[in-house]
Amino acid sequence: MELTITGANAITFPTLYVWDWRVSLYLFLGGLSAGLAIMTSILHVRKGGALAEGERAAISAPIYVPIILSIGMLFIFLDLERKLNVFWFYLTVQPLSPMSWGSWGLIVFYPVSIMYALATFPEGKRDLLRLPILKNWSARLSKYKLQLAGINFGMGIFIGVYTGVLLSSFVARPLWNSALLPVLFLTSAMSAGAAFMIMIAKEKKVKLYFTKIDIWLILAEMVMLPLFFYGQYTSSGAHRESIMPFFTFSHEYFWYGLGMLLLLVIFPIAVVMKFLEVKEDHEEELTPGALFKMNLSAIMVLFGGLIIRLTFVYAGQLSHLS
Amino acid sequence: MSAKVSRRNFLKITGATAAGLSVSAALPDRFLLWAEEQGMVKGTYVPTYCEICFWKCGARAKVINGRVVKLEGNPSHPGARGKLCGRGNGGAGLLYDPNRLKHPLISTGKRGEGKYRQATWDEALAVVAEKLKAIKEQHGPESVALFTHGTPTDHFLPLLYAYGSENVGMPSFAQCRGPRDVGLELTFGESVGSPERVDLANSKLIVLIGSHLGENMHNSQVQDFSEAMARGAQLIVVDPRFSIAAGKAQKWLPIRPATDLALLLAWINVIIAEGWYDKAYIEAYANGFSELAAAVKEYTPAWAEKETEIPAATIYETARMMAQHAPAVCIHPGRHATWYGDDVQRTRAMGILMALLGTWGREGGVFMGTTAKVPKAASKEYPEFTAEALNTCGYALAGAEGLTQVIREATLTGKPYPIRGWIVTGTNLMKALPNQKETFDAIQKLDLLVAVDVLPMDTVMMADVILPECTYLERHDALAIGKGKSLTVSLRQPAVQPMYDSKPGWWIAKELAKRLDLGEYFPWGTFEEKIKSQCSLLGISYEELKELGTITMPDTSSPYITPTNQPEFNTHSGKIELYSTELKEQGFDPVPRYTRHPQPPTGQFRLIYGRSPVHTFSRTINNPELHELHPENEVWLNAAKAKEMGLRNGTYVALINQDGIRSNPIKLKVTERIRKDCVYMVHGFGVTSKELKNAYRKGADDQGLITRYTVDPIAGSTGMRGNFVRLEEEKKHA
Amino acid sequence: MPNYAMVIDQRRCVACMACVIACKKENEVPHEQYRTRVLEMVEGQFPELRMELRSELCNHCDNPPCVYNCPTGASYKRRKDGLVLLKKHRCVGCKACLAACPYDARYINHKKGYADKCTFCDHRIKDGKEPACVATCVGKSRIFGDLDDPNSLVSKALRENHAEVPLKSAGTKPRVFYIKKFSKPE
Repeated sequence: MELTITGANAITFPTLYVWDWRVSLYLFLGGLSAGLAIMTSILHVRKGGALAEGERAAISAPIYVPIILSIGMLFIFLDLERKLNVFWFYLTVQPLSPMSWGSWGLIVFYPVSIMYALATFPEGKRDLLRLPILKNWSARLSKYKLQLAGINFGMGIFIGVYTGVLLSSFVARPLWNSALLPVLFLTSAMSAGAAFMIMIAKEKKVKLYFTKIDIWLILAEMVMLPLFFYGQYTSSGAHRESIMPFFTFSHEYFWYGLGMLLLLVIFPIAVVMKFLEVKEDHEEELTPGALFKMNLSAIMVLFGGLIIRLTFVYAGQLSHLS
Repeated sequence: MSAKVSRRNFLKITGATAAGLSVSAALPDRFLLWAEEQGMVKGTYVPTYCEICFWKCGARAKVINGRVVKLEGNPSHPGARGKLCGRGNGGAGLLYDPNRLKHPLISTGKRGEGKYRQATWDEALAVVAEKLKAIKEQHGPESVALFTHGTPTDHFLPLLYAYGSENVGMPSFAQCRGPRDVGLELTFGESVGSPERVDLANSKLIVLIGSHLGENMHNSQVQDFSEAMARGAQLIVVDPRFSIAAGKAQKWLPIRPATDLALLLAWINVIIAEGWYDKAYIEAYANGFSELAAAVKEYTPAWAEKETEIPAATIYETARMMAQHAPAVCIHPGRHATWYGDDVQRTRAMGILMALLGTWGREGGVFMGTTAKVPKAASKEYPEFTAEALNTCGYALAGAEGLTQVIREATLTGKPYPIRGWIVTGTNLMKALPNQKETFDAIQKLDLLVAVDVLPMDTVMMADVILPECTYLERHDALAIGKGKSLTVSLRQPAVQPMYDSKPGWWIAKELAKRLDLGEYFPWGTFEEKIKSQCSLLGISYEELKELGTITMPDTSSPYITPTNQPEFNTHSGKIELYSTELKEQGFDPVPRYTRHPQPPTGQFRLIYGRSPVHTFSRTINNPELHELHPENEVWLNAAKAKEMGLRNGTYVALINQDGIRSNPIKLKVTERIRKDCVYMVHGFGVTSKELKNAYRKGADDQGLITRYTVDPIAGSTGMRGNFVRLEEEKKHA
Repeated sequence: MPNYAMVIDQRRCVACMACVIACKKENEVPHEQYRTRVLEMVEGQFPELRMELRSELCNHCDNPPCVYNCPTGASYKRRKDGLVLLKKHRCVGCKACLAACPYDARYINHKKGYADKCTFCDHRIKDGKEPACVATCVGKSRIFGDLDDPNSLVSKALRENHAEVPLKSAGTKPRVFYIKKFSKPE
């Protein structure tokens, strides 16, 4: 069919192009910090806190959460066209806008994660905090470690899932318009959090603990991704077309096809590596070789999460209903 | 208690005073429109009529604080009916075009070099007057010719006559409508007028042969066309290209180019053979039926199929459709008729067809224009013309508009006498006349080339003296007398004051006249005075006209034949001449006879051209508001042919014609919408004037490729569709 | 309470683009950005060709995804007449509304940064005038009016003709109705 359009806007023609790597990066980093928050809560609560004993990550992980979140939020802030108006997010609640929920969620998550970081700061090292107000709060909040862990856990789930809900609520973008997307994003976020935890943890038992968690999460992702694509494939014509970029190596869609290929390779390899790590008979200390393998598999998982966010944000804007 | 001055009122007061202080063009549209929204300032509507094309639609310019922010159609004007086309809407783009001519310019280099220095009006006018006087002395006033189009004609033609020359050439005749008007005049004693008196809104069947109405955006005519389409009128479109109109047609006949006359003659043949013609009408109003019938006997549908590549059954069927819906059938005579050199005869065939179906003077066909007379103002008589005008030399039936290329020829050869000076107003000759080299060479021979224009067009940039006219939104012009169904009078008045150092055409003409001691031919002080006196002559109130923009004279409408309203045919016999005695006398075919025209050799394509709905050829090409929507033209090539040649959609190609002329790179549009033997592009692109910053070298210039032309022996017009091009891929896009 | 809607009679459209330009002038739409567009579609193979002309704009949907997804409430549907409008001062430029619109009706005003789109010439309607595109439409293809008024042009047009809405399956309940071009008889 020959089509001539007079009066098309470059921003929506030939395809929508409003969100780019900045949004993808926020989705990834936001998800990572949410997943990390969940894992941190688990770390501190599990086995009555025994897991966290002597573990460096028990202190560092809660600090990483707001830092990673800040970097992510910086990127999403940069994406706004009218940055000076950002305060409007917080003058209203739009019950049907996942972005509104998210903006409020973030404004709760932020202080909660900082409070949790302070709460879990060990007594002995409090002087490192320097400022008296921080030391004060650290002392006060440490009583509420458990409750804060719970809230942190909840907020982590919320932040990990809301971005998926946001994207899935656009009827106009068939690629995102799937009920499975929020679950996929959450799982991916938690998996990233677990992987990150593995990398920053010092104790072997902590590393292995989270490796086991990560194995389940990756397996879940490996089930969900095919189900997601199958769901799209068997849905309407627009949905079917929306996933095509992932299954082709044409010049136009090369990066999506490559991304898909990488995912197909990364996740199975990572899960097998992790399985072997768990199965292996480790000595007291982990060998440099074992450490390297653990970090490698963790980085692969993180990379996979980033690929998902990047390809979905870009490919979603290629998809259209008409 | 002092009255509370609300913020709104306060700004309104200051707004009013600020307007009085006239810091007009400084405030941007954005602010003004916002201010209007807030109720701080109010826009005033100034009625005028548009000059973006020649339809002269009544428009209303919305002016806020001395700035034209919008243009809307004038409901009182029959050509606009409250609406404006895309180009009319974009009129302010011309007004505020930064590339506009701002000051008089005098050439400091060779003609065509583009080197100018700014001058004052006194200086520039003095140079022109001096040269004109010199030519008058040395060669006689007839050695000065005027090329003109549009409303400047109303100012500069009287100047030419007063100066003593009759050599006017309007490209609208010899390069456009000329043969159509001559053909219809020979048949009916008058042409269809411009705007055409086609009664489309009431037609049951519309036949477009050689008209791409729709892309050819003529306001009220398109309104009528859409009306007809919505009402379920049938449409037959004969066009080698699937135009917008063709997209709405029940029958699209993709005719082989240059064979239209064969189709028309076949239709006439069928209608006569089957007895489908309006016997009573022919009996009452026409002459020469039997001669016609005999002459068209050989033009059967079967014969026509071989010429036109249209199946005989289709030819028969479309003729039957015409008969079925007669007399509410509109055979649209088109506008640009200068195709192959037998264009008068082709129009004659159209006229004969119209007559056979009994559509002239009937509802849905061609309506009769108002017969109301326009009183002529008394004016000083022009001096005796010392020499015979050469502008229609050799063509007895050519119109008073003159033949542009004949004047050009005389300039080149000096025969029958030399033309030494050209005044060019409102027309871009390089883009209008065929064979640009001849125009260029002719210009080199002149003693004087003076251009009066709004933009630095290609031709303007060759002049010795450039006189900047202000745009239509900044000036008064002659009253536009509309002779459609009723008599209408429309006013053009300035919406804003002339920008920069530009002046209205009337002022330029008057000032020139003064310096040529011809001041008494322009007896009024300002043109507004002349308009006022014209109004009193016509019996209308100038004040009312200023308010409304257009006044329709009551009881001036009698469009259809009725027992009390009988048509008058101004032909030799006083009747419709199916067989033209006048043509016979002049030695031409009294009934159109088909001649086969050359077709393009293999590997070449016939170059055909047309219009864009957002452009008026090169006139609007630089207008930022219109340029945005259509910045460059494309060349349409048949998809199967493109595949054969390995050319992909969107590649840039160059067109090389039979004389080796190579065009600018132009984007290729590979499409199913055109025949395999021709390529199509929109006319007016590919300007060579660097001063037109938006348009410079965008797209290709079809006129540059029109080096071969066939002169119609009857009207003297130049048939321009006989050029064949081949395509070559451009490695680098300019 | 008027219920404004638009009917586009595609049979009448000639793709003249007057609406595109008039809208730009009326609403000071920035350079190379548009609130309405015209599509020229041709299908088939020479010489069996069919053409559709269609102009598109914001449909002022009754179930507008752009309104729901706006995080600051800048995008809203005005109850009194059903127009979907924007409170410019609230717009953050997050572009969720651009992503949410299935009709690609919105754009980011590149001079100001806020999301922008057709407003049915709200400022003209309140003066009793028609939207700029409707006022200038040479073919009288665009028809505007109050659905609640049985004598309005839109009500008449919808009564007398079969009209369709774009992307009905999206569930947005648009208020711009299209009377398709009649198909060519055999």
